[in-house]
Amino acid sequence: MFKRFLFIFSILLLASRFAFAEIATENLTIAGYFKNETSLGLRTFSGVSKFKNIFQVSGEYKFNEYFTSFVTGKYWYDSVYGWYDKYDPAQYYMQHIQRTDWLRDCYLDYTNGPWFLRLGKQQVSWGQADGVPILDKVNPVDFTEISLPDAVDLRIPLWMANINYSPKVNSNLQFLFIPDFEQSTAAPPGAPFAFRSYKIFMDSKEGIEALPGAPNKIPFGPLGTNYFGTLNTNIYYPAKQFENSKFGVQWSDRISDWDYTLNYLYGFDYLARTYLDSTQLTFFPTRTAVLNYSRRFKIDQMVGGSLNHTFTENGILKGITLRSDAAVYINEPTYYGNPATGKSEGVNRWNNVFWLMGLDKSVFTNWLVSFQFAQYIMEHDNPGVSNYQTLNSSTNGAQDAVENIFSLKISTDFMNERVKPEIMWGFTDDNQGKLSPKVTYEVNDNLWLTVGIHYFYGDKKDSNGQYRDVSQFYTQVKYTF
Amino acid sequence: MKKIILTLVGMALIASYALAEELEYFNVYRPTEGMSADEIMRIKYFNKYTLFAHDVAYTGKAYFIDKSGSIRERGTARKRINLGRKSDGIAYKDLTVFTGPTQVKGLCSLSWTYLNPKRDQDIWVWLPSLKRIRKVSQAASDDSFLGGDFTVEDISTRRFEDETYKLVKEENFPGYTSDFKKETYYKDTPCYVIEATPKRANWYYVKRLIWIDKNYGTNIYDEKYDVKGQKFMTLFRWHEIYNVNGKEYPIQIYLEGKDLRSGHTTEIINETVKIDQGISEEELTESALSRSRW
Repeated sequence: MFKRFLFIFSILLLASRFAFAEIATENLTIAGYFKNETSLGLRTFSGVSKFKNIFQVSGEYKFNEYFTSFVTGKYWYDSVYGWYDKYDPAQYYMQHIQRTDWLRDCYLDYTNGPWFLRLGKQQVSWGQADGVPILDKVNPVDFTEISLPDAVDLRIPLWMANINYSPKVNSNLQFLFIPDFEQSTAAPPGAPFAFRSYKIFMDSKEGIEALPGAPNKIPFGPLGTNYFGTLNTNIYYPAKQFENSKFGVQWSDRISDWDYTLNYLYGFDYLARTYLDSTQLTFFPTRTAVLNYSRRFKIDQMVGGSLNHTFTENGILKGITLRSDAAVYINEPTYYGNPATGKSEGVNRWNNVFWLMGLDKSVFTNWLVSFQFAQYIMEHDNPGVSNYQTLNSSTNGAQDAVENIFSLKISTDFMNERVKPEIMWGFTDDNQGKLSPKVTYEVNDNLWLTVGIHYFYGDKKDSNGQYRDVSQFYTQVKYTF
Repeated sequence: MKKIILTLVGMALIASYALAEELEYFNVYRPTEGMSADEIMRIKYFNKYTLFAHDVAYTGKAYFIDKSGSIRERGTARKRINLGRKSDGIAYKDLTVFTGPTQVKGLCSLSWTYLNPKRDQDIWVWLPSLKRIRKVSQAASDDSFLGGDFTVEDISTRRFEDETYKLVKEENFPGYTSDFKKETYYKDTPCYVIEATPKRANWYYVKRLIWIDKNYGTNIYDEKYDVKGQKFMTLFRWHEIYNVNGKEYPIQIYLEGKDLRSGHTTEIINETVKIDQGISEEELTESALSRSRW
């Protein structure tokens, strides 16, 4: 298989050289890449856990000084899901790109004086935080490899109108109208980075639907008796109506030497929440149970802002860049239940706060040190339902009322910026985290190699700890044209 | 009477010092006979940062050549708008976009440089991998510019105030033969040779010898020396003279930097130059940066 890939890769590479060498004109620019991402599991998912081949091509065409269009197409195929039976449960969703996800950008820009409009399929990024999405909530997120890919690949583009007006030089008013809807996606059980909460739910479904007396049968119903069980799950997407559109506003300005934004977002949350709608028990002629779950999207709002400043004047802070994001999520659906079993029992609608402060500084000539501290603060200490606790939505483990999150990133370069090592350490006050060292080497203008490790540690009920058995060594080979 | 004359002479001296101290933006200055090293260097910096023009736009390429002859390339497009504005202290704004290769295409930085020489630049960067603007700190002055042989200060952050100057001699430049272009430049051009000593202690060089073109006040050649007195870096700059509205503007067109220790060479070539095209300040804002597509 690897030889076949190399053969196809070589043919495509040669073809691209000829196909694209002459295509760039003054108004048209085309660029893209072939990329192979290979991962080797260090623990449970030992052996090759990813062999993903990606092809992406982007084209920009300038019609005139006012109008420019931009299109990006992307296709990927992960061969691992065809190689090994152990990945069968996840094969359908993880082996190749889904539905219309291949179209990453497709928009038309209009620029005229203080007006700027971007109409079409696009992604919009808000905020200043690295890897911690506080204000970056405009687009849904592809969590199939959690937050390991670059942010540009994590966001799921949506069709929207992005309208901007700059009333003065350093100010901008942005209005977003998003009639499109996609849900954030998560890896299914069977894939390395499936959420623990998802796996618990699917295990529970299998346990309920197993035959009475089967080893994995979950007893439920009165007195914990075994029933013939059925667990139905229906997902209800927001209807495609104007009133279900998402709206966003961002005001950007500068006061003195401080840049700030004020942000507001209203619309359906991209993550569906699971609700138990009804349970039907039948005692005669056999004991049967039907559990009807629904997955529903809820409207919430985000009010927030960002602030950044570089200390440029003489003093002990000179050279430090300060970044900060803060948001209140109004009516955010928040699970509660039993963290020991990972079973969710309901959803509260709370006003939760998420804020972050980051400091960056270059030291020793070309070493960049970046530190971030964030707090996710729940509106209440407990869910208000006896014997239950607030749950982390990705693990169904206990969610602290105040979650302290830290990250430290150090990067530098050698050999005239050809070799770029970097280490990123993200952790929380629960002794769990992720350590990700990597090195990128520029072989030539078109060929880039990356090797690295994602090492997860912590309790399995915590957001990083749930992946402690899927730590991995990875390589990336990227050929650009 | 004598007192009045002395006062006038004193005032004239102060005025000439003030002129040298703050050369007026959008004028053209040339060295004249009898100028001090400081005065010549003020003109050199004025020319280096193109403060004679209202705006300048370049497209060009940078080549990084290692000892083995392996060449890497970067394409860039740059815009500068000179403001010299006292109300907010902004001297000029620069927007630089990488146009290639694809891996860095779209990477874009916006920097504001202030009149106050002790103040760092404000810099925003558009990161294609995040599709987001990030505020960043000014790179260390001794860091390499784009990974090449010019340092950040060689290109963008060194100010007149960072060094002390001494006029060493006046001579005809012997000529510089480019390894890359195989051409000889500035042969027999009359030059001032100025020794510049950094004010910072323990800096990465202890002195520079700078050849300044007597005709235009442009810096054509530098030699940097280390603490052992050994020459470790040479930097060459070829200027072309652009006639704009009857004024002659010297513009850097070709730069070659050589690290004599590693054998690495950097070539920077400005392929197109447009001057005073009426670039609007709105094109050099965070909002403009956020409209990046790549």
